[in-house]
Amino acid sequence: MSTLTISVGPQHPGSGHFRLIVTLDGDRIVDAIPDPGYVHRGEEKLAEYRNYIQNIPHFERMGLHDANNMMFAYVNAVEHLMDLKVPERADYIRVIMAELNRLIAHLYYTAITGIFVGHSTMFMWPVGDRELFIDLAQMIAGQRVSYAFILPGGVRNDMPEEVKKKAEKACDYFEKRLVEYDKLLMNNPLFERRAKGVGILTKQDAIRLGVVGPALRASGVKFDVRRNDPYSVYDRLDFDIPVSNDGDTWARVWVHMEEMKQSMRIIRQALKQIPTGPVKVNLRGQVRVPPGESFGRAEASRGEISYYLVSDGGRFPYRLRVITPSFRNMIAMPYVLKGMVLADMPPSYWSLDYWPVEADR
Amino acid sequence: MVGDAEPGVLVGKLKDILQYSVKDPLKYVINWGRIYSLWPVHLETACCSVEWGAVSGPRFDIERWGMLGAFGSLRQCDVLIILGTINRKMAPRVRMIYDQMPEPKYVIAIGACACSGGLYFDSYSVLPGVDTILPVDIYVTGCPPRPEQFIQGLVMLQNKILSSNIR
Repeated sequence: MSTLTISVGPQHPGSGHFRLIVTLDGDRIVDAIPDPGYVHRGEEKLAEYRNYIQNIPHFERMGLHDANNMMFAYVNAVEHLMDLKVPERADYIRVIMAELNRLIAHLYYTAITGIFVGHSTMFMWPVGDRELFIDLAQMIAGQRVSYAFILPGGVRNDMPEEVKKKAEKACDYFEKRLVEYDKLLMNNPLFERRAKGVGILTKQDAIRLGVVGPALRASGVKFDVRRNDPYSVYDRLDFDIPVSNDGDTWARVWVHMEEMKQSMRIIRQALKQIPTGPVKVNLRGQVRVPPGESFGRAEASRGEISYYLVSDGGRFPYRLRVITPSFRNMIAMPYVLKGMVLADMPPSYWSLDYWPVEADR
Repeated sequence: MVGDAEPGVLVGKLKDILQYSVKDPLKYVINWGRIYSLWPVHLETACCSVEWGAVSGPRFDIERWGMLGAFGSLRQCDVLIILGTINRKMAPRVRMIYDQMPEPKYVIAIGACACSGGLYFDSYSVLPGVDTILPVDIYVTGCPPRPEQFIQGLVMLQNKILSSNIR
């Protein structure tokens, strides 16, 4: 058997720089070895030279359309070590921002799925609808994508009251749009043929490899940090966790679609329940973290993100370890891609929601 | 207009005639033709590519200004857009991509990281600005820049092309 080895990337259209060394037998993929590291920026080492507030913009930039979820886990770790209780209103604003970010990130995901199956309308629609939620986040935090909004001890500023009305309007509009997305992408026979039964990740493999997030839930494992290890006020909110047993490309895209509905449900509930009051604890200008170790986790849009923080009581963290969801999903790539034809590779590769910036840190 | 590798005396003379007699109007026409058909290679290195998605989307729609938002083979492109951090592993590849593009070619560095290293100026793996390996025409600063700034950068590039000599 003669095989051909080609390199897909590193100049990768669609999702950052990343190389796949693909071995082909005719048109079939025999092996696919990921080669990451083209966007490595040394975030963990840099964190040892910056104080706890300066680290916030740094870790946001790992997944910029998912900035608040990236920060949520970090702030959980820091607050756990400081033994800090944040005001209730701040908790709700954090959840609203985190869910808005999940919507923004999932819409970006849907758009790039459209690009990878050669469906440019499916790129234009989600990118256009994404602006709605970017506008909402901008009303709350004052920035389009990089917010630096969730801080140890609360959030940076209070939420204006008009957000409630505007968010209701945006959610109403977007629910109608999701029906259209189903017609355009999910029930489209062309997409079904390219995605159903392609790139199957079995339940056993998913558990054994430690896959997280929508890729895990599409393989039939009901695991969500928001439900299994609730942080902030997620235990007071009512939402479902979409699970599919198929484990193929179509199921992974479907899980993202369903999660967007659940995110809107959470935003609506949180806006109803939100109490009045202060939004941050006055830390008198400096975050002083006592010596010790702590672990913070959160459900980012791509899966579980966790931080392991070691502090020696100084101004800077002694060591900060980040494990990002993309990095954990990368190992599943050879298992997903093996056995499919080369033309099916782009949608299946992207369906794992691999974001190189986040994986390389 | 006429390439350097063209053999023959006639072509050489034609080049002289064009350069000395109708240089300015021809220059204007050629450059005018170039500015509204810019094909980009976008190196979605890092987080600024999120905003590039918005720029090529319906609200900001960079195609209105004459630059494609979609993809093409890099051997047919004339603008290299660098969106974000370039690290030491990626740098030789970026140079390779630049070398493969045909002349005339222009480079836009987008984001603080591509301009000067940005937030990662003291990192062990990040280049302090992409101009250490490539000639850069336009710098668009911001971390990440707003979509309006992308468009401003494009308009600045068009003005630069319009006032430059033909090659």
